[in-house]
Amino acid sequence: MSELRFEHVSVRYGSGRAALTAVDHVSLTVPSGQVVGLVGESGSGKSTLARAAVGLSPVAEGRVVLEGTDVRRLPRRHRPLQMVFQDPYSSLDPRMTIGQSVAEAMPRAAHGGRRGRRLEVARLLELVNLDPERVDMLPGELSGGQRQRVALARALAGRPEVIIADEITSALDVSVQGALLNVVRGLQRELGLSMLFISHNLAVVRYLSDVIAVMYLGRIVEVGPTLDVLSRPQHPYTRDLLAAASHTRHGLDDPLVSIADAEPADAEPADPHHPPAGCRYHPHCPIGPLVHADRRICVSADPAEGAEQRPHHAACHFTEGGEHLLNREEDRHVRGH
Amino acid sequence: MRSRRWMRVVTTPSGAVAVALLVLVIGLAILAPIIWGDAASEVNDSAPVQGPSSAHWAGTDALGRDIFYRVLVATRLSIELAVMASLLGVVVGTVVGTAPSVLPRWAGRWVSSAVNIAVAFPSLLLVLFFAVVFGVGTTGAVLAIGLAFAPGFARLTQTLSAAVVGRDFVAAARVAGVGRLRILVRHVLPNIGEPLVVNATINAGQALLAFAGLSFLGIGVQAPSYDWGRLLGEGLTQIYVNPAAALAPAVAVVIAGLAFNLLGETAAAVIGVRTGPTRSGPLPATPGRDEPIDASGDQPVLAVENLHVAFPRDGRWATPVRGISFAVRPGEFVGVVGESGSGKSVTALAVSRLIEHPGVVTADRLDFAGVPMLSTPERELRPLLGTSLAMVFQDPTTSFNPTRRVGRQLAEVAEQHQDLRRGPALARAVDRLRAVRIAAAERRAGQYPHEFSGGMRQRAMIGMGLMGTPKLVIADEPTTALDVTVQGQILRLLSEVRAETDAAILLISHDITVVAQTCSRILVMYAGRIVEDLPAADLTRTPRHPYTKALLAVVPDLATDREQPLVAIAGRPPAPEQIPAGCAFAARCPLADERCRTDDPALVQVAQLHRVACWHADDQHDQGTMG
Repeated sequence: MSELRFEHVSVRYGSGRAALTAVDHVSLTVPSGQVVGLVGESGSGKSTLARAAVGLSPVAEGRVVLEGTDVRRLPRRHRPLQMVFQDPYSSLDPRMTIGQSVAEAMPRAAHGGRRGRRLEVARLLELVNLDPERVDMLPGELSGGQRQRVALARALAGRPEVIIADEITSALDVSVQGALLNVVRGLQRELGLSMLFISHNLAVVRYLSDVIAVMYLGRIVEVGPTLDVLSRPQHPYTRDLLAAASHTRHGLDDPLVSIADAEPADAEPADPHHPPAGCRYHPHCPIGPLVHADRRICVSADPAEGAEQRPHHAACHFTEGGEHLLNREEDRHVRGH
Repeated sequence: MRSRRWMRVVTTPSGAVAVALLVLVIGLAILAPIIWGDAASEVNDSAPVQGPSSAHWAGTDALGRDIFYRVLVATRLSIELAVMASLLGVVVGTVVGTAPSVLPRWAGRWVSSAVNIAVAFPSLLLVLFFAVVFGVGTTGAVLAIGLAFAPGFARLTQTLSAAVVGRDFVAAARVAGVGRLRILVRHVLPNIGEPLVVNATINAGQALLAFAGLSFLGIGVQAPSYDWGRLLGEGLTQIYVNPAAALAPAVAVVIAGLAFNLLGETAAAVIGVRTGPTRSGPLPATPGRDEPIDASGDQPVLAVENLHVAFPRDGRWATPVRGISFAVRPGEFVGVVGESGSGKSVTALAVSRLIEHPGVVTADRLDFAGVPMLSTPERELRPLLGTSLAMVFQDPTTSFNPTRRVGRQLAEVAEQHQDLRRGPALARAVDRLRAVRIAAAERRAGQYPHEFSGGMRQRAMIGMGLMGTPKLVIADEPTTALDVTVQGQILRLLSEVRAETDAAILLISHDITVVAQTCSRILVMYAGRIVEDLPAADLTRTPRHPYTKALLAVVPDLATDREQPLVAIAGRPPAPEQIPAGCAFAARCPLADERCRTDDPALVQVAQLHRVACWHADDQHDQGTMG
């Protein structure tokens, strides 16, 4: 349906010494009808980027473009860009019935008359697998998973072309997470929605996404087709994330074994107020100057330069780190640029 | 629901008094001028300035008018003016207070600054100032009092609405294209309505007093109208002849003021605290159902038999923990896993004696290091818990005092429980920080909690537990708030602590992978009961309970088939005040039959070190697949 494009978007908070660049010159495209999964740790700027798209965080530089139109120029009443929030306990007004919450997000002109609106609300609730009989319930009477489905129905009420899902399962029990994700994926395919799916859970992102983007300290450090990125990660940070995620799976099968494994740099996360010079991951990088003393370039040069020429647009000077899988020829070609 | 809450206001003793007084005052305000209006203005030249008598209960004034009647009749004007003034204050205050969320940002900032400045002045000073500005008289006084009360109200509204505006449902409405004014009316005001109404009620009482004051000073109501303040002023001139002339209006002011203030205060208490009624009937009888724990082998660090935790809720007992039995032996690493509401955290709190009144903890046995926790007085228990039991909580940002240095907070433990002096205690704190692998421990000890990252705070929390010589470390979701890359480090640290100190660890988590990865034994909890207790090594190989199997099946991983729908457990766990008869999992269980719906299975041994509470634990053909 529609393509959502972030063009060199920066978001800054505060000023002077307390200034914080939460999102730093991020460019990302959510292709029409596809799901882009955005992963990264807390504080990496994932949510800020999402909120920038819907106008909830101030865009300092660059722009967010939907189908060629700057989202800030979109008419207020027509909202082709909708968002589902992380916490279903705070994203629904406790004093409005779920029917009212969903109806509020419907375009005013559409579905003339109360009856029409009521029918539309019922249709939307059915779409997310909720009994339309529940339309007059208050959010307090529903479970977390049900509330999150109401929030999804509300997002769909605006007839969106793009949906941004910000950690929509992290407040839910794992036992109901699957049901919600099934609904999300079914609807995305059925309605051909474009989607930016944000999560810290790599397994969930892998299941849902066509494309994975990895964010670190306000920058996107790697982006590419999901299975490609997971099987041939280019950036060492992606590899660390992947190791942490497969680690848990590993642990499920072999208890107590995995504990002994050493992990990359036991250091503390970097301070977003004072991002490190050069490559922002270098103080933690297992293939950077910590390990290879000769790799001074990681401290002096920003790997974002020339990232477009590297595989997965990886922001790393030494992308051939994934040597066991990477095509040598292609690699040499890329480095020749 | 809202009306029920207001009903509760009326049924409290002070609330009932307030309502009775208010009915009296309002009744008088409506009826008194109609019934006694003429009697109150009847001039009687023959009997000026008389003391109380059977004809004139409060005596007469200079013109021989009956003061008692005049006090009754003055109720209407006094109340009217007080209500008008406070209404004015509330309306102006609400408009000004919510303006910042509707106006453009720069204009909003100007409005809030203006409010902040106005709040700095005492309201009585403002009243006098405005009274002079608007001139002597009734209208002037109403405006003066109303406007003087507005800033305080605006400030309150502003604070309350800022809290609501920050919540996600307002953000969601904005994304949905709902206009600012509509957000204000539909989302913000309804959610701050109750505290505003309570405050307005209290304001009305204060306006009444302020009005009486102005009239008393002669800049409020002017003759021939009269309110209590004026009557008070007139009565004062003849106080040596007839004290009742001043007392009667004074009593009236006090009663009416009390009515408004009491009502507001009780409403605030009831709405603010939201406690349920304390009478919930007797605790239900709780016979033990599970097999008693194995008494052989080492003495357990923690022995729990038939533990129940109950909280009164709406006249009933909610029981988040319903009779669990388990033992933790020295050096053991036990994981407790279950969905939210399964009772795992409540169990941890009960074990460490952190359940507060009105919660009730009962158990046939609750022994920590051989000491019965329920029968030992708290004073004797505290030193034991302080040195031998360590707790690590989910949210490392709230478990430290943000205003004190980390090192000092750790040292305090040693000063309290080990009688160490300041210096040695701090040295031990630094040593413990080093023990939990915090780099540059000396420097870090001098820092404040906000200067630590989440993972580091969690380490420091573990370090605080190591200040004593813990026999048991209870870690309640220690990695849930942390990033995946840091989670492994914390779990590894816990394992190291266990290996080095031989402390037992009770790790509570909703994430079965976390538990499986670290623990030696796993307790699976569901709806307040342990449904399975098994060695971690058997978790993926021979789980017996359908719930355990389901929990394992629902975790997506990096090998999940992307073409198949994800597995989920249908339905939801029962609420702790509505536990069904029979097995609590029956409604969600693919194996459930008649017996499961009527009889609750006990936790019984099915193999070496393996206990299960399921009637179908032996149905090995089932692979626990559910849709």
